[in-house]
Amino acid sequence: MPGEMNSPAGGKNDYNNATLRPITIKQALDAIQPYPEAPYQIDSAEAVSITFVGQVRNISSQSTNVTYKIDDGTGEIEAKQWIDSMAGDSMDTDDPNASKPPGKNQIELNGYARVFGKLKSFGNKRFVGAHCVRPVTDINEVNYHLLEAAAVHLFFTRGPPGEKSEGEGGNVKSGLAGDGKGGADASMGGTDEASRGLPAMSPIARRVYNLLRTEPQSNEGLHAQLIAAKLSLPMPDVARAGDELLTAGVIFSTVDEQTWAILEF
Amino acid sequence: MSLQTPRVLPAHLHAFHPSSSGPRSAHTVRLLGTVTALRGDTATITCGNNGDVTLILKPDSHLQMGKLVEVIGKVTDLENGQGVGLRLLGSTDWGNPADCDYKIYENLVNVTHRFKTIFYDSNE
Repeated sequence: MPGEMNSPAGGKNDYNNATLRPITIKQALDAIQPYPEAPYQIDSAEAVSITFVGQVRNISSQSTNVTYKIDDGTGEIEAKQWIDSMAGDSMDTDDPNASKPPGKNQIELNGYARVFGKLKSFGNKRFVGAHCVRPVTDINEVNYHLLEAAAVHLFFTRGPPGEKSEGEGGNVKSGLAGDGKGGADASMGGTDEASRGLPAMSPIARRVYNLLRTEPQSNEGLHAQLIAAKLSLPMPDVARAGDELLTAGVIFSTVDEQTWAILEF
Repeated sequence: MSLQTPRVLPAHLHAFHPSSSGPRSAHTVRLLGTVTALRGDTATITCGNNGDVTLILKPDSHLQMGKLVEVIGKVTDLENGQGVGLRLLGSTDWGNPADCDYKIYENLVNVTHRFKTIFYDSNE
């Protein structure tokens, strides 16, 4: 068996919630909510926890929180950090100084800072509930962060990097790809040599394909319900992915229209 | 919409000049370079191997010779027809230029313009 690449990402429905996504402020402002109170989505993927790097344009200290206005050249957003007088900020890289509000230690006006937090909105105003705000002192971190945001954006819009696009966007896996095969980055949804030469497809379609590829099965293939259960995906998504793969001619339906197998050629 | 300041290299400045075609929203850009000349009210920064840019300083701008700076400024014509320069609006000192891998910045500028949707609005 080529390996179980899918298991980590295909686990729970809310695995995205634990994912810290690097973004630009423009992406934060453009993020959409499919319905009120729903988690924000960027590139059709839930983006609850986010991180970005920008310049601090304003610092406003109140008794319960500190609000930073952050500008990264692509937009401006406010990051609100609640002051927890009881505990030191465990994510702070520096020794928490009890007499100062957390994170405020070296944050300077017009200096650069990295913010970790969650996208929120109050009324019509979008802001970031910050867990941690720390100063950035290396210009390379600023540039690197924006490249990483672009790489993750491409991952969600075009799927994991395949053989041909390797190296483009400075992706995480280039260091693993010494043997010319896709260095499978299982934690990001998984790709392996099976993806070689596949047409461009959505990330879900790719996951369905990889499951069909790696799951033990009879020559009848797998039923869409089973795929949905294995990948913890809603049926409509699986059906859509199936349509995509059928249209692309990389799978075919066997005993009925909902049972698919890999088309080997 | 908040103000956007695209990251550019000297070769791109003309595209952000107020007279260039298309109603671009931004004539304000970001540049990264090393301060190589200070002449009272103007200065020159060198952007890796991508050429020099002349800055028109503000009375309160204090650039230091030999330091890496990120500048934000408005693209403008220089006096006596010396081409296009930048009227400085703000600058950030990043210290020793040797601590910065300028290649990363060149790639970043490339990426920001190739995958514009996540970085800048296009008003063209």
